[in-house]
Amino acid sequence: MTKNNNKLLIFLAAICLPVFIVISPDWLKINGITPCWPVILLLPFSLKSTPVKAAIASIVLGVFIDSFTISDVSYIPSLFLLSLVWSQYGLHNKKIELFLNIGLMAIFGTAFVGLSIWFQKIIIYSVLRNNWFHSWSIYILISEVIITGLVAPFFSSWLLLAYRKK
Amino acid sequence: MMKARGKVGFHLLLKSRFWVIFLFGALLFGIRWTKGAGYLDFYSVLLKPILPGTAQREWIKEGENIERSIRLKLLEDDNNRLRKALSLKQFNSEQRISAAVLSRSSRNWWQLLEINKGAEDGVLKGQTVIGPGGLIGLIDSTTPLTSRVRLLTDPGHQVGAWIDRTKRHGILTGMGTNRPKLIFLNKNTLAKIGDAVTTSPASTLLPPNLTIGIVQFVDEKALPSPYAIVQLTASPEAIDWVQILKNND
Repeated sequence: MTKNNNKLLIFLAAICLPVFIVISPDWLKINGITPCWPVILLLPFSLKSTPVKAAIASIVLGVFIDSFTISDVSYIPSLFLLSLVWSQYGLHNKKIELFLNIGLMAIFGTAFVGLSIWFQKIIIYSVLRNNWFHSWSIYILISEVIITGLVAPFFSSWLLLAYRKK
Repeated sequence: MMKARGKVGFHLLLKSRFWVIFLFGALLFGIRWTKGAGYLDFYSVLLKPILPGTAQREWIKEGENIERSIRLKLLEDDNNRLRKALSLKQFNSEQRISAAVLSRSSRNWWQLLEINKGAEDGVLKGQTVIGPGGLIGLIDSTTPLTSRVRLLTDPGHQVGAWIDRTKRHGILTGMGTNRPKLIFLNKNTLAKIGDAVTTSPASTLLPPNLTIGIVQFVDEKALPSPYAIVQLTASPEAIDWVQILKNND
């Protein structure tokens, strides 16, 4: 049983999700926006790990995800903070496997990551400060939150159950 | 007696070649008078079924196209020679690398394309990427086998551009939408809706005269500088193949 869980973890975490990040299949998009894969991957691990382990995982994941992006904007700060919050939440709440609970946490996490990227972009690119209303950011943020909220309960729940059984 | 003489005279007139000569003369006169119109009309009616018609129009057009492409080639060569003399960036249509799009993220936080040609094929950072319709972006990074293209629409991405009609320069800035913003360097832009935006012929970074898009909106009174919203002519969301323009230098 443990072997099977390990295989599932390896398949989802090491093969399936990175493939989705690289290929970004059209059938997993809303308005051309893909789910926030780092949140989906980090959420179950943070809930079942100590804050230190979760923080290290967030940095590793952030470095990995940053390699698929351009410019100096990074996922690491937001993922780091999220991992600490989620690991604390996981330590104090035992009924975290609830299906909707995971989806809600993923939605808030995605919104936080999106806002972090948006603010970083505003700080880095002075031209974006000319106009403070960025329709593209709101569009991406809402679409990403929706698609991640739909996908996370499935992927993150599987991963969380696999971690727990392991 | 008189009647008989008349009959004889008329008979002789009919019998003689007078009428033949008369008709021949009239015919000649008619031909001369109409400048051979009858002949020509008859000839055209005869030839009508075998005239080339539309096919000939196509031959003529094909000939014109060939002539234009030869002239274009000669002008491009001439233009390149002059640009070389002025140490400006050259546009060489022969030095192109075709690449397929591996993955696209044209609407996300980062607007980019992954293509299947990399450093081993001679792709370098900063090279220009064009697609059907014109310029779509620049090479941001390369691996041995793939390259990442940063699209013109990526928020904060800036390239130099100008409007050929008014000869006014500006900076085309990606705003995350399909319509980047052309921020002008001068106050009096003279830009109008429908103006074509191209790369500047004086650019030392980008090849000259590449089509970028069409002006859709102009705000002359904007501060700190006037701007125009540009609709791109190339759509990265629908492009499967791109071409990378290699540097000549």
